[in-house]
Amino acid sequence: MTTYKAPLREYRFVLSELFDVGSLAQLPGYTEATPDTIEAILEEAGKLCEEVLFPLNRSGDEEGCHYENGVVRTPAGFKEAYRAFREGGWTSLACDPEWGGQGLPHTLAFFVEEMVCSTNMSFGMYPGLSHGAYRALSMHGTEAQKKTYLPKLADGTWSGTMCLTEPHCGTDLGQIRTKAIPAGDGKYRITGTKIFISAGEHDLTDNIVHLVLARLPDAPEGTRGISLFVVPKFLPGPDGGIGARNGVRCGSIEHKMGIKASATCVMNFDEAEGELVGAPHKGMRAMFTMMNAARLGVGVQGLGLAETAYQGARAYAAERLQGRALKGPAYPEKPADPIIVHPDVRRMLLTMKATIEAARALAAWTAIELDVSEKHPDPERRQEAEDLVALLTPIVKAWFTDVGFAAANLGVQIMGGHGYIREHGMEQLVRDARITQLYEGTNGIQALDLVGRKLPMHMGRLLRRFFHPVSGFIEEQAADQTMAEFVLPLAKAFGKLQQATAHIAQAGLKDPDEAGAAAADYLKMFALTASAYMWAKTAKIALAKSEAGEDAGFYRAKLATARFFMARLLPETSSLLTVIASGAKPVMALEAEAF
Amino acid sequence: MTIRKAAVIGAGVMGSGIAAQIANAGVPVVLLDIVAKDNPNRSAIAEGAVARMLKADPAPFMHPSAAKLVTTGNLEDDLGLLGECDWIVEAVLEDLDVKRSLYERLESVRKADAIVSSNTSTIPLKLLTEGRTDAFRKHFVITHFFNPPRYMRLLEIVPGEAEPEKVAALSDFADRRLGKGVVVTKDTPGFIANRIGGYWIAAGLAHAIDLALDIEDADAAMGRPFGFPKTGIFGLLDLVGIDLMPHVGRSMRATLPKNDAYQKLGGTPPLVEKMIAEGYTGRKGKGGFYRLDRSGGKREKQAIDLVTGEYRPVREARLGDAKTAGAILQRQDKIGEYARRVMLSTLGYAASLVPEIADDVVAVDEAMRLGYNWKKGPFQLIDEIGPDAFAAALEKQGMAVPKLVESARGRSFYRVADGRLEHLTTSGAYAEVKRPDGVLLLEDVKRRSKPLAKNGSASLWDIGDGVACLEFHSKMNALDTESMALIQKAIDIVKKGMKALVVYNEGSNFSVGANIGLALYAANIAAWPMIEEMVASGQKIYKALKYAPFPVVAAPSGMALGGGCEILLHSDAVQAHAESYIGLVETGVGLVPGWGGCKEMIMRWMANKKRPGGPMPAISQTFETIAMAKVAKSAMEAKDLLFLRAEDGITMNRDRLLADAKAKALALAADYTPPQPATVSLPGPTARAALGLAVGELQRQGKATQYDGTVAGALAEVLSGGDTDIVDELTEDQLLALERRAFMTLLRNSKTLARMEHMLETGKPLRN
Repeated sequence: MTTYKAPLREYRFVLSELFDVGSLAQLPGYTEATPDTIEAILEEAGKLCEEVLFPLNRSGDEEGCHYENGVVRTPAGFKEAYRAFREGGWTSLACDPEWGGQGLPHTLAFFVEEMVCSTNMSFGMYPGLSHGAYRALSMHGTEAQKKTYLPKLADGTWSGTMCLTEPHCGTDLGQIRTKAIPAGDGKYRITGTKIFISAGEHDLTDNIVHLVLARLPDAPEGTRGISLFVVPKFLPGPDGGIGARNGVRCGSIEHKMGIKASATCVMNFDEAEGELVGAPHKGMRAMFTMMNAARLGVGVQGLGLAETAYQGARAYAAERLQGRALKGPAYPEKPADPIIVHPDVRRMLLTMKATIEAARALAAWTAIELDVSEKHPDPERRQEAEDLVALLTPIVKAWFTDVGFAAANLGVQIMGGHGYIREHGMEQLVRDARITQLYEGTNGIQALDLVGRKLPMHMGRLLRRFFHPVSGFIEEQAADQTMAEFVLPLAKAFGKLQQATAHIAQAGLKDPDEAGAAAADYLKMFALTASAYMWAKTAKIALAKSEAGEDAGFYRAKLATARFFMARLLPETSSLLTVIASGAKPVMALEAEAF
Repeated sequence: MTIRKAAVIGAGVMGSGIAAQIANAGVPVVLLDIVAKDNPNRSAIAEGAVARMLKADPAPFMHPSAAKLVTTGNLEDDLGLLGECDWIVEAVLEDLDVKRSLYERLESVRKADAIVSSNTSTIPLKLLTEGRTDAFRKHFVITHFFNPPRYMRLLEIVPGEAEPEKVAALSDFADRRLGKGVVVTKDTPGFIANRIGGYWIAAGLAHAIDLALDIEDADAAMGRPFGFPKTGIFGLLDLVGIDLMPHVGRSMRATLPKNDAYQKLGGTPPLVEKMIAEGYTGRKGKGGFYRLDRSGGKREKQAIDLVTGEYRPVREARLGDAKTAGAILQRQDKIGEYARRVMLSTLGYAASLVPEIADDVVAVDEAMRLGYNWKKGPFQLIDEIGPDAFAAALEKQGMAVPKLVESARGRSFYRVADGRLEHLTTSGAYAEVKRPDGVLLLEDVKRRSKPLAKNGSASLWDIGDGVACLEFHSKMNALDTESMALIQKAIDIVKKGMKALVVYNEGSNFSVGANIGLALYAANIAAWPMIEEMVASGQKIYKALKYAPFPVVAAPSGMALGGGCEILLHSDAVQAHAESYIGLVETGVGLVPGWGGCKEMIMRWMANKKRPGGPMPAISQTFETIAMAKVAKSAMEAKDLLFLRAEDGITMNRDRLLADAKAKALALAADYTPPQPATVSLPGPTARAALGLAVGELQRQGKATQYDGTVAGALAEVLSGGDTDIVDELTEDQLLALERRAFMTLLRNSKTLARMEHMLETGKPLRN
């Protein structure tokens, strides 16, 4: 009973009203990407997602993937859907025209991705992983490697994977054991076992291109001794097609809580032939370019799931007739009132709506800056944009996926018992959302990345890219009385975030546990403050347009949601500051044996 | 006897450097060399040496005026000048015959009670004085200086047969006037520092070749973990000149007993012979173990491969977390093996040489600290490792445990008893570590007392006679909110019953100024009110220091920059170590001095009686000094720039600085009244416009960037008095408000933030 409509009006708002996506068309290489074109493509993508991917979401979940003798079959309908997806050119949106891509901005791909994840996250895994592999090879591969792999990854006839995790190590990649032995002809023989490999084996593409972290024989210990290799399932043939089968096989697939239509594989490499990507022992760096993009992608998954949960819960709350409003019947003509009359149901719906829309605004900001960081002609401007993206990446990943899981849970809550049974599809969203908080670095790792790496980097320079615009906005708006109800709470939360940031910087210098203990709460505080900034900026626009015009209702809804956010969600920053200020002691005092 | 005039014979690098340092002490000095060949000017060699020194960087002279105290001449025409000298230093070729024939000539020209000394580093004293008269021998010692003589603090003295009072007089002169740490040593090859240091270098080279180590790893291992300079061994050889090695090696092997451990290290390695033959003698030649490859338009730092002898790009050392001596000696890899071989043998060697080369371990440690810039001497290092662990490590490595180390088992070479530092003597008993007469070290005060106040960045100590000492001890002595809080606290404490305050510490630098990392971080998170508060409270505290009801004497050594310099400017008097490097360098990071530095400097220049008439020359001088971030390269130079006043004192010996500052503080305390609040009249906009024109000209000439102009503009606004008029009187608070405003405006500029970040990350200013 879940429903889904692509939120096209929301896209137009964040891209063209809140931010200026039109500015991207000024950048070299993006001249085609006018707001009109972007809007038209989003609309097309919306149709595909609504009509092709969404209908397969629950059936794929019910059926799951099949494993037999090293062969993996995706659920019924996935092959056809992938063909339609590929033929529609959706695999090559943001790829370089040199390799057959369409050269469109990441910003566009971001929101196409959101719709794909809203409608069928499992399906989205397959092209999503290919995109990561494309990025790693395009940034670190040799010309020959690019020529061999990029056109195939772009047009979707081949797909990709990221092979990092091993049975004994996930977060701590320094412990990797997979070996790469030089074969003498410039190639390497890769041997080892990788687990949790999404899209490691499946029947959607002709070939699968694995990007594998492994150790060379002379490698130093730890992460400084890891190299990246490209290891295809079938060795590339001379004609650009496929040649001999390589020594990499799927040993089994995992039985998981969610994303059941996505094949999560154990991959065995047995003297598989591979090529080095980038410099020896510099694999972590190459992997991180892939990982950073992947982290943003996971954040978008969280946003996509949240949107679907919200749409389903909204429809249910409007239709489900049960009891009467507390103040007396709201719809006397009906046998009962729809449950949306209840403050507590509205609280839950508004919590979803307010967090989702702020997250989407942050996604737009991040995506546009990501494009600027790659294409802007001024190196200083590129650096600024890169700083902001680096700062926001852990927040996008962790906060958006927390929002996704919370929204799915609220969706179940609103639907009561009907949310808990499989039939209506809401419980699937809870199960699917859970993984997003875990993979590509758990949300705890994201928080550590934020406080341990991003905060101190260049003496806080990354922070400047967020704190200065917000501080400037607050100063600018001080004179506007109508903005006071939004700017004052923002300023208050911002002041607390400044305090928390200074506190962590100082306490963390003396004792890293202090930063570690504050990390998750700090990330949440940052996300809430950033959301408040998005809402205050939204309110500035909405105030001017809410009085008249055919869209006035849209803007009035924005203002009401902004007020809800400021009144009901933002105050949590106060308690978070109190918690952060309590330091590491309350969490570190208990001895390990006493647990 | 007093040394009123001295002479140096031999105007090479060492001789001329020694002469310069004697001149730096304000003592006239004659500098002679042989007659220049094919040159109408027969004294061209000595004259050329002085001229070269006036251009050299780092400068041998502390002030150009010191060069005027050097009288140059040649050994044939000017030998008569020596008759007036109380001390004659010989620094000629390391050739016994040359030296002997010179001494013979000195017999007749020297004053009867003049001391003659040789700066030899390789020839035994008993050979030098062979055939000399009794009177000569009773006036002859070896004074072994280290290169460069102005900056290296060690002076080894071999007394030989000289009369004790002569030796004492010379030691006292070297200590108080030349600022040297005098270590008395025996007449043994290499004396102390080069005996041990030479062994260390030769062992470090031999074992690195033997283990086929990358020199980056070797240098990292022989650097910070042991508290040695980061040049390690190969970097050090590049610095001092690789061609010196074979000479030193030959001389050591020839003079040391056959069973000396040095002999086992072998001769000059073939790689080194080849490098010297090809002109790779170090930084003075085509490069050394490291070189800068400029071929093909690139600038690439390269390192030599000890196995192939080929150059390859420098890479990062693989030292990892081994940051201490203990950690690196434990490592189970080639680097650990290297550290064990080199350091266990070097420290063991040092321990086997007492009392052969020096009476006690204190002299050995002092010599290595002052002569090789080791943070700890060999016996302090053995204490750090632990004498038992050290002995066990020697045994494990199959090396003999020296007797002295045996006697230290179960205890240590140094201990603190009753708040006093004691050392283990060769008799096996402990004796107090004696400081020279009149030396007062904060280190010793701290050992025997508890601070009057203390926090993470600073402490306050009672140094006796009612004088308190404020010590900074943060990283680089950068000033942060805690340092500021302790200054305030010091004022409160001294006010209640003490006589005076000395601001002094024994770090490498007095203070590098405000902690700009903190300010940058705060600026990055847009915490503007917090930063403004930091600036305002700093101004308030410095002003309180100036008007405190007791005298404040600042005693800097090393760098006193920015906020550190502003402390000197707010003190009643300064007693500076001669090697003080003072300046207001804020414009380098795109700021203006904000803790009263602009205010104090403009008031000083306006009140300067020597300046030409009218306010403009004073404003221009102040502006130029601050805008160009001028740093005085010595205390003497600081007087020219008015960072120090004419009446401020200069102490040559670092170890005597605190005692001198304390004496100065007590003298001022005798009948002290705080300064009267001052006002100043400045011309305002007209002066600002004039300064703007000057900056515009510099920009047109490409000597200043666009943003330099913005920073200079903000500075001009402060120094011209803002919107004032020459008939108005400006108070200090008004000037401080101008400083604050300029500071905050600049801090909001992203170009200033980029400059701060660059300075913190690279240690160099960014010209954006």
